[in-house]
Amino acid sequence: MAPLHVSDRIEVEAKTQNLQKVREFLHAAIKRSALPTGDINKVVLAVDEAVANTIQHGYHGREDGTVEVQIEADAGKFTVRIIDSGDPYDSAKGVAGKADLDLKNHIAAGSKRGLGLFIMRKVMDEVSYQSRDGSKNVLTLTKYIKAPGA
Amino acid sequence: MREFEINLEPLSANATLVRVVGWLDAHTFEFMEQTINNLYGKGMVRLAIDLSEVEYISSAGAGVFIGSLSGAHERGGNIVLMNPTEPVKEVFDMLGLSQVFTFADSKKAAAAALASAK
Repeated sequence: MAPLHVSDRIEVEAKTQNLQKVREFLHAAIKRSALPTGDINKVVLAVDEAVANTIQHGYHGREDGTVEVQIEADAGKFTVRIIDSGDPYDSAKGVAGKADLDLKNHIAAGSKRGLGLFIMRKVMDEVSYQSRDGSKNVLTLTKYIKAPGA
Repeated sequence: MREFEINLEPLSANATLVRVVGWLDAHTFEFMEQTINNLYGKGMVRLAIDLSEVEYISSAGAGVFIGSLSGAHERGGNIVLMNPTEPVKEVFDMLGLSQVFTFADSKKAAAAALASAK
């Protein structure tokens, strides 16, 4: 039986070329968790979107910062924390504001904005953001794991 | 493994086949966008984009196709997507793009779909 508790972390420089490294780390961590196989690609995608947002909006393309991805998983949930020291990126506002994104009209208009956030919300059960003055920014993504047969 | 690669070849008299290999993410999407914009700049606005070797796509990659499709229509062209892999199809479905784009499973079918672009 696979161990249910997974605790792991990776820290990368805030460069988009490191996204693949983060995705590989996530794949490996998820495989050790109780998350169903069918959710692997989706959760990797949601976290990739979050880390890409942090690099592009929090650090504005500056490559001197770092992004830390922490994973805590047990039998009931898979939680990912994305921690950075960039400018606070107002994800909380975005999270609330994009809840009802009319995707069809959005795409018909040729707009690409907000798609990453849409994916995060669609895939994960909880998305929350915390930023304190002078401290680090923490974006937390949680996916609940349903018991088999539940 | 190749991280990202784009190869171009003629598909028909007025259409171009764009073969994409690797990951289409927030790191590589600009190269894809630039390639399509360069083609538009040369008047090549009927594109078949082969996704059969794209292992991963994020919203940044999907966004390139959203923006490029309207760009093609504005220029009297079109974009046809060929043989997306399962992970790519999953993202297209999630974003509702499977209903927006025309898909083809062969060069012949793609050329036929592009020939009818207005």
